[in-house]
Parts: sequence; structure tokens; C-alpha cells
Amino acid sequence: MTETILIVDDDLDILELLKMNLEPEGYNVRTANNGESAVQSACANPPDLILLDVMMPQKSGFEVIEELKNIEHTKNVPIILVTARGQTEDKVLGLDTGADDYITKPFDLREVTARVEAVLGRTRPIKYINPLMRAMGDKFSEEGLQQLAGHLQAAAAIQNKLLPEQAPSLEEFDIETLLQSSTSVSGDFYDFIPLNETQIGLVLGDVKGNGIPAALLMVMIRTALRLLCHEEDTPASILKRVNDLVVRDTEADLFATMVYGILDIANSTFTYSNGGHCYPFHWKHTGEMGVLKTEGMLIGAFEEATFSSDICELSPGDILVFYTDGITETETRKSEVTAGNTSQKEEEDSSENGLPITESHYGTDRLATCIAKNVGLSASALCDAIVNDLTLFSGSTNPHDDRALIIIKRDI
Amino acid sequence: MNVEITIAKKNISILHIEGKILGNASDAFRKEMSEQLQTGRDKLVVDLMNVPLIDSSALGAIVITLKSCQQSGGKLVLLNPQKAVREVLEVTKLSTVIEIYDREEDACNAFF
Repeated sequence: MTETILIVDDDLDILELLKMNLEPEGYNVRTANNGESAVQSACANPPDLILLDVMMPQKSGFEVIEELKNIEHTKNVPIILVTARGQTEDKVLGLDTGADDYITKPFDLREVTARVEAVLGRTRPIKYINPLMRAMGDKFSEEGLQQLAGHLQAAAAIQNKLLPEQAPSLEEFDIETLLQSSTSVSGDFYDFIPLNETQIGLVLGDVKGNGIPAALLMVMIRTALRLLCHEEDTPASILKRVNDLVVRDTEADLFATMVYGILDIANSTFTYSNGGHCYPFHWKHTGEMGVLKTEGMLIGAFEEATFSSDICELSPGDILVFYTDGITETETRKSEVTAGNTSQKEEEDSSENGLPITESHYGTDRLATCIAKNVGLSASALCDAIVNDLTLFSGSTNPHDDRALIIIKRDI
Repeated sequence: MNVEITIAKKNISILHIEGKILGNASDAFRKEMSEQLQTGRDKLVVDLMNVPLIDSSALGAIVITLKSCQQSGGKLVLLNPQKAVREVLEVTKLSTVIEIYDREEDACNAFF
């Protein structure tokens, strides 16, 4: 979702300059060259931010703000005032203008970009918090709300730099994680949530969709899980609650798949539920490879989605491997397939080059084989073995899609 | 990815897709389906026989189109998905909300 900025200035050169500066940053830019048309434009279709010149003939920037603040659907649009140094600057400083920030002319273009991003970063989460609050209803404690607001702030401000939690270090269990992002905003995520002295909640998932909405959805899901896992008893009821929360407030094409489960250290069990995610592997010390399979739909697209929970026992030496489809959908190296073909970089349909379709992607079978071959290794070495096998298969160390892995091995 | 559209009896649109639906192709795929909706055709059969693989954006396109069709009283059904695609539909449980047919005739009869 592209954010729209309305730039208002009576100087056409400045309009053009700002537009040329902001458009490459990925914003959709609209312009108005007087106060009246600025108000009309903002009312007709409220932008995400307004860059507003103070000194304009007929209607000044101050008057524009006053009008917009009195209209329901424009009153929350953030505004950055552009003032002339020395003239209006003093006035802006001395007034409660209702603006969110100000910039003085002549300005440094980098400063404009930075301020725009800063103001959007501060205000962006608000748009998401309101519907969230409604969805959570009275279940939402004051503390939870603040926590959520904090998470969303953080996510909006730093988008993808939200680091996953460290894998917990546990007696009896050896845990390793991997998260490789292919783009600036990652869709894959995992989290560990301590529930009590002997239980840890664990989630691994994949948000489908792009950009900020997907990044925010990820944070929303992680936060909702962190709050709900203390309230609900079964993983299935937690996923149901998360689904209901997301389904009401997102577009139909924004959804997630995930596995949520509770690792019980005292009983060596894993209780889990799956929301449309690839089935995790369970390698048993007996040499048998199984999958953790429960019925459950992808999260956030359908109100009627249902989920079920199941439990498995983890014997000494047992291994659980959670992964995202970025692993199994890793494509084979093109150079092998299209040897002699000069257009190797073209995205070709591999079914056209004679290679069986099943081998053009890494696939669950090869992943299972790779795990089974390396069960003697530690979680961390097994993780390396999988990454190396992926590199061998794809011929590249740069993933095309996000990849996430959690490996849990019970000590022998 | 190539798309060929035929209109069957009772104004059913059959979208014959050929090739993987990944990345940009997902956007094109979504656009093809929404164009049908815009011209008032909300009975869609998506023929996946020649689609070896789809990604999550393609799934998203299917989900959003399915919902739009349902809203206007129509339907979206899938025809003949191959192994890899079928697996994705199974794992995500989309197979429980979307009708899947192996024969074109059955897919077309699904609307009545």
C-alpha cells in the first residue's frame, strides 16, 4: 500500500522539487498550489501526510490547518508546516498550530525526506491500532494495549528490523533458529514466549502479502499471540482467536500461515495447532520420519476457519523441524537446467526445459532426506547442513524468498 | 504465464492458465480474474491443469477473487490442479472452501 503525500505550495518550482524528491522514496505525491484547493483535495481523498506551506496568498497554511482539523475525516491527517526562516518560523514556534512538525525554507531535501518518514512513522500505527482495539474488545487490558502500541510503533519505525526473539536455552533441549530475508520487509517470523516455568510457546509463520501492511500484520499477529497465549488454553483456540482478530481488519489477500505450539519441558511433549502452514517434521529416535499434521486453515482470510490441536511426545534424540515454504520452494540452479542457453536470467517455466517439475524445487522430500541424513548432529549443525544443501541445490546463497527454520532436538 | 479465456454456456468464464504463477505473474493472474468480475462475469472456472506451481500471492489472488465472486452471488471453482498446487491447497485448507473439479464439465455444472 503506497502512502500518499499532499504537497501544498504556491511556488510551482518548490512543488516540483519536492515531488521529484519524494516520489523516488516510494510515496504517491499529489500537489495543490493554493490553500483552497489543498482543502478540497484533502477532503476528497485524505492523504497520509500533508506538507503545507505557511505563506500563501488568500488562504494561509494556518487557515488550511484550522479547516482540516474541523473536518472528521481529515482531522487526523498529519501535517508538516513549511515556513520561511526568520519570517514565519518565529510565529510557528510561538503558536500551537496543530501541525506535527515544521521545516524551514530554504530546506535540505534530505531533511524533508527524514521528517516525512519520521512523522509517518509516528502516525502510521494509529491507523492500525483503532480497528485492533475494536477487535480485541474488552479482553484487551490497558497493559496489553500499551504493549501493542509499542510493538506497532517499533514495527512502523523500523519495519523489518524487528529482531526475532533469541532461541531459549533449555536443559534437555537443543534449539536452533534461522531467518533469512530476501527483501527489506520479511514475511517469515518466529517467536518464543515463556508461559511458565516448564512451558514455552513457540510460533513459526509466514505472512503472505507485501510491504508495510504485511510487516504490520506480522507484528499484530506476534503481539496478539503474546497476549492470547496466557488467556487461552489450547493452541487451536489461540489460532482461532488470532484468525478472528485478523480477518476482521485486513484485506482478503493479506493472510498468514503458522504453526503455534507449546513445548512442555517437564513432560517432554509438544502440543500444537496448524493454521495452513507446511507440516513440521518429527524425526523419531526410532528412525521414523513423521509430520505434525492437524487440520487448520490459513489465518486471517476466512471467518469460518476452524483449527484443531494435537500432541506429540518427544523422546530423547527426537527432532522437530519447523520451516517456511521459502525453504521447500527454493528453485534449482538455472545454469544446470538451461546449459548453453544465453537467456539464463529470464524467468523461464522449468517445465519447458525438459526437467521434471518435481525437481525444479527443493521440496519436502529432499528436506526430509537431508534431515534424516544428519540426525546425529546438533541442532545448529543440522541447520547448517540444511542451508548448505539449499545452496547446493539452488547454486546461490541468496534466497529468492524468505526462509525460516526452527530446529528442536531433545538431548539423548 | 499465459492465460486463455473461453466463455462457456450460461456466461461461465473458463480461465486456462499455463505456466507457473509466481511473483509478477500473480498480479497478472489476479488482474485477469478481476477483469472478468468487472465485466459482470462472476462465475469463474480456473483451469490449473498446466500450472506446475503457485506462490502465496497467487493464493491471495484466488482468495480475494473467491470472496468477490461470492459477494456478487457467483462462485470461483478450480479445475484439475496438479500435485504441487493441490498440496498447497490442501495444506492451507483452501481446499475446504473452494470447490475443486477434475473435469471441465463437472466444474461448469457446479454453478447450477
